[in-house]
Amino acid sequence: MSLHTDHRALVAVAALGYLVLTLIIGILPAFEIQRTKPLADAPARTPEVSLGRQLYLDDGCGFCHTQFVRGLDMDRPYGRESLAADYAGEQPPLLGTQRTGPDLANVGIRQPSEIWHLIHLYNPRAVVPSSVMPAYPWYFLLKDEAAESDVVVPVPPQFVPPGKIAVASPEALAVVRYLQSLKQPEVPR
Amino acid sequence: MTQSTAELKQALPPGHEPETIRVIYAYFLAATFWLLIGTLYGLLAALKLYWPDFAVAEWLSFGRIRPIHTNTLLWGWSSIALVGLAMFVVSRTSKVRLWSPRLAMIALGLWNVAVLLGLLTLSVGISRGPQEYREWIWPIAVLFGAGVVLNGYNYYRTVAARTTREIYVSNWFILGAFCWMTILYATAYLPFYQGGLGNTVIQGYYMHNGVGMWFTPLILGITYYALPRMLGKPIYSYALGVLGFWTNMLFYTLIGAHHFIFSPVPWWLQTTAILFSVGMMVPVWSGSGNFFLTAHGSWAQVRRSYPLIFILVGVWGYALVSTQGTIEAFRTANVYWHFTNFTVGHSHLAMYGFVAFLVWGAIYGLLPRITGQSPSPSAIAIHFWLSFVGGSIYVLSISAAGILQGMSWVAGESFIASVEASAPMWLWRTVGGLLMVASHVVFAMNLWAMRPREISHEVREAVA
Repeated sequence: MSLHTDHRALVAVAALGYLVLTLIIGILPAFEIQRTKPLADAPARTPEVSLGRQLYLDDGCGFCHTQFVRGLDMDRPYGRESLAADYAGEQPPLLGTQRTGPDLANVGIRQPSEIWHLIHLYNPRAVVPSSVMPAYPWYFLLKDEAAESDVVVPVPPQFVPPGKIAVASPEALAVVRYLQSLKQPEVPR
Repeated sequence: MTQSTAELKQALPPGHEPETIRVIYAYFLAATFWLLIGTLYGLLAALKLYWPDFAVAEWLSFGRIRPIHTNTLLWGWSSIALVGLAMFVVSRTSKVRLWSPRLAMIALGLWNVAVLLGLLTLSVGISRGPQEYREWIWPIAVLFGAGVVLNGYNYYRTVAARTTREIYVSNWFILGAFCWMTILYATAYLPFYQGGLGNTVIQGYYMHNGVGMWFTPLILGITYYALPRMLGKPIYSYALGVLGFWTNMLFYTLIGAHHFIFSPVPWWLQTTAILFSVGMMVPVWSGSGNFFLTAHGSWAQVRRSYPLIFILVGVWGYALVSTQGTIEAFRTANVYWHFTNFTVGHSHLAMYGFVAFLVWGAIYGLLPRITGQSPSPSAIAIHFWLSFVGGSIYVLSISAAGILQGMSWVAGESFIASVEASAPMWLWRTVGGLLMVASHVVFAMNLWAMRPREISHEVREAVA
């Protein structure tokens, strides 16, 4: 049998060899690490927070925002170093590979304000002039007058048509609840 | 000259049957359609990073179009073009007809449907979240995976029916690519081990192996045929090709975790990844060195032929991008470059400077031989220079943006300072992208000029 002349042997060796390597480097370590338990005081998600996370996934926020703090000096402003337990049970976990925007692993602590997040979501340039984050105006309703139950967003006047006010939709509030929920739990000593 | 068409068809060399030519050309047409769509999305994404309030709409927001750009170009353009070229290579080097042109056509249909559905679902926000290159929901992935299996089986049967004793090295790479992609794709989508960080372990494996075990072996296999064929001389070293094959499989598979250095992914996985990233120099330089040495002594011929220039630039792209990748994997370099746009430059050097340039070289070099139709040399030259200048501006400016970002973060500046520092580079990147899009329009016109008509004069004469 020679791999140069036997196509069956060639394909079998290439496929089996790769399968073994895949088990060693991918599947077995993945099985092992998915058993990690969450930290004791990691809070459960409310349905609203879960909806917000789903919207965060669908809109691809994680292509620009990591949730992955490394043990490096430059990552210190974002929180403590991320642990395997921080991602326990997450599907998918949102570590990310690009930081075109800042890390959000602990943004619920760093920026707790609901109003700030709503204005920022409506148009980031209303609060950070040189931001390049997309505006999400479709998460808001433009009304002439607010109803009693409406959450009115105090957007600077140049960002809304004259005479209109911006009101947060349930989706906008869900995204903000999700961002506010991103707080790194304490590591027990 | 008195032969009937039926006799003529019988006498055609393998790979030149009209039904095979039609399928191969259909692959190129589909691939080029997705190339145009995918790069338009890329251009829009580039524009939005400079003018974020341009074209504000839900289905055009950055987070939605970014995965459309990457998936359309990886699966729609690169995969379909590579597999179309591989079809010709498998048949020619096995000296036998393609086992089933019909099966190849069905697989192309599945892939086109998958890419289209992927584009539509991602547009409306139906997605598996930012899991790079596996954002498509599973039913679409099943369609795509079925196309991989059908094509792989078709090529396997073709090689099995070969009339040569030895399996030419191109077919090692091509059949290998189909085995590996099948395992890789299934591993990426099966859910049993993907809770929490298990998903991240698989993500690192998958996104790296997608490049290393699918696109790379396909294009290397094609180049092992196209370059010697176009130069009219044998490959420099057959053994070096076989060495490249096995080391590519061993080293490339083990390095995915270098995308998650400093993460809570087990330390041994990260260190293994870094070590084998250095090992990658073996397959990379044995492959690219083999191609350079094959071209050695024929530089006068290369200088006169834009198809060959495309190939040689692509080989340089391969050597450069892989060496760069090894350096990026070191922890010290990773501190400066990880999370930055430097990665975006790296991936474009790979899929554009390496893969796309070799694809274009091979299409320009081989397709006229089977259809008998050539575009004008100056039209190929225009394509080359637009792609080369545009791609270079793109890669240089976005890599510079990455370096500026990394320096700003290491210096401890506020985050927005890194955005402001990158902004001028993002404008340059858009300029490069514009030239790239223009070059793709020229390529589409050139492809049309190479379309098959009847059995070509060249072939007619060769047979007569």
